[in-house]
Amino acid sequence: MKLMSNSMPPLSGAGSIATGDQAAALSTRGLCLWYGARQVLEQVDLDVPTRRITALIGPSGCGKSSLLRCLNRLNDEIDGSRVAGRVLLGGTDAYASDAVVHELRRRVGIVFQRPNPFPMSVHDNVAYGLRLLGVRRRRELDERVEAALRATSLWDEVANRLDDSALALSLGQQQRLVIARAVAVEPEVLMLDEPASALDPAATLRFEELLHELARRYTLLLVTHNMQQAARVSDFTAFMHGGRLVEFGDTDALFTNPRERQTEDFITGRYG
Amino acid sequence: MKGVREGAAGTWLLGGIAAACIAIMLGLLVFTLGMGLASLWPARVERIELRDGAVLLGEIVATDATSLVMRGDEAERIGGGYRRVRRADIRARDVPVDAVVLQLGDGRRRFAVGETPAELAQAHLMTEVLRPNAMGPFERTGVFLRHLFAFVTTPPDASNLSGGVLPALIGTVTLVLLMSVLVMPLGIATAVYLHQRRGPGMRIVRAAIDTLAGVPAIVYGVLGLGLFVHGVGGGIDRWFYPDRLPMPTFGSGGLLWAALTLALLTLPVVVVSVEQGLARIPAGLRTGSLALGATREETLWRLLLPAARPAVLTGLIMAISRAAGSVAPLMLVGMVKLAPASPLDGAFPYVHPSRQFMHLGFAVYDAALASPDAIRGVPRAYACAMLLVSVVIVLNLSAILLRNRLRDRYRALET
Repeated sequence: MKLMSNSMPPLSGAGSIATGDQAAALSTRGLCLWYGARQVLEQVDLDVPTRRITALIGPSGCGKSSLLRCLNRLNDEIDGSRVAGRVLLGGTDAYASDAVVHELRRRVGIVFQRPNPFPMSVHDNVAYGLRLLGVRRRRELDERVEAALRATSLWDEVANRLDDSALALSLGQQQRLVIARAVAVEPEVLMLDEPASALDPAATLRFEELLHELARRYTLLLVTHNMQQAARVSDFTAFMHGGRLVEFGDTDALFTNPRERQTEDFITGRYG
Repeated sequence: MKGVREGAAGTWLLGGIAAACIAIMLGLLVFTLGMGLASLWPARVERIELRDGAVLLGEIVATDATSLVMRGDEAERIGGGYRRVRRADIRARDVPVDAVVLQLGDGRRRFAVGETPAELAQAHLMTEVLRPNAMGPFERTGVFLRHLFAFVTTPPDASNLSGGVLPALIGTVTLVLLMSVLVMPLGIATAVYLHQRRGPGMRIVRAAIDTLAGVPAIVYGVLGLGLFVHGVGGGIDRWFYPDRLPMPTFGSGGLLWAALTLALLTLPVVVVSVEQGLARIPAGLRTGSLALGATREETLWRLLLPAARPAVLTGLIMAISRAAGSVAPLMLVGMVKLAPASPLDGAFPYVHPSRQFMHLGFAVYDAALASPDAIRGVPRAYACAMLLVSVVIVLNLSAILLRNRLRDRYRALET
């Protein structure tokens, strides 16, 4: 296990903006990713600040989603993917030879663009990860399921439908359910891959409030293609382009006064 | 407009074909049912007086323009009472109210008028005494139901021409259930393996499985005889029962080897069905499970296999249908015309997988073609066929009901 609180190497590369006094829950150093011969990520150095919302923006195909899948090693499931560099989570390297992949994935939760509730009851969906952790006692399960559903403000809507199929919920409810499922196992970082793109405007607004609630307890990393959303909800923003991290900084600063020309072009809508 | 009319014609054509298929299926069921049940109905007894003075008593079993066939008194042996009578020779013909039909334990049927003959009344072998001509419709129905019940719940008599088919029924059901228990874990494991492995090698494996589905059933019988009965069974005998040799214990045909043979026969069906079920599960579910910290094995056991349960049951249904109808391979691996002992009885361990067994499918063949008495054998074949169809329907219906209950839970997944 590599402790890195003192020995963190100096930030380098285009996106090396200090995040002030914020401790990083998750950091990457020189992260590169290939799918076969195609390089998808190039030397990404990113520090995700603890208990803040960090937005990841950039044009389609710039590697945002691939970056998320690197952070909890879901890319391992893709044939021909190869990773170089380090992903540091609480001082340990996620790609160290002695890293336990499924343990890492529990610590770094992910929610996808399309809600993917399991074909089982609402209760069993949220309890799925808890049961994997070995929680067996009915009472403890119920309590933690309720806590997770309350955290995503879904409890009041489904309290008397816990045994119904999760597939019967509305799309917005399903999306909050999969977030509840993810937070039930108490991840250190929660990554959301365009989580609001399937929601209507009213649901999106409520969803953004939920993100603020969650940010009090969790470190959030949010991929979005909606720049207004990034500006509204995030504390920090990272702009990616062509597999590189172009710029990273305080959201207000990045949107009002970008340092890089590419960033300015993108947020003013000149391409993307 | 033209397109609409063509579409309508196509709809009618397809609808007509579908209707024809349903009609053929229903016709087959009704025909089998009718022919099978008719043999259990208490028939009318007629008395014919010939011009030469002889008096015949019995049931009319066939007629044509110039003659009729009567099944009469079987004083000596089964099938000994048939007489073809030319209509021109008949002087008088009536239906005596006090006619008696006596069913003997050895399968013979005797007829009399008036009192039951004394020498027959004392015979221990007599199983039933009927006066069918004196019965009203309700009484006849009662007798019919009693016959039906006896047909299903009693063993056959020594000739296998009369009596019930209970051992064959037990043999069929036990065989199919044992086959299901054997084929499902094997089929599911193979399907999971195929589903998880990719690559050119898998295409060969898949082609091999598709080919297996097309291999004639009798070939599986030969395989079962060589591999299971002589190979495995003979091996068990040499290792564990050498003192009993040359009498085979497991080294002869038996229920277990037949069930294994049928399991091989139905394996492709199960594999294809389960694999399709696994393929239908959206990839996002698997990723979602892995993202929650589940290992691949946990994802398989807790998410993928439960979600594929409807497909697993579909595979089971198709396996049962195929297995219950396969008689040819069984003739090589332990199915017999008359089994000395049931593979299922009250003596520990209750199921005896090394014993030979009887089968309804073979009972159909035996009654229809190998019977010394065709007029009695053919209706019996229909009755056995009817029972076989009923067994398949009951087994399938239970699996279908179970699947529909599961489908309700997973409905949104399939749309």
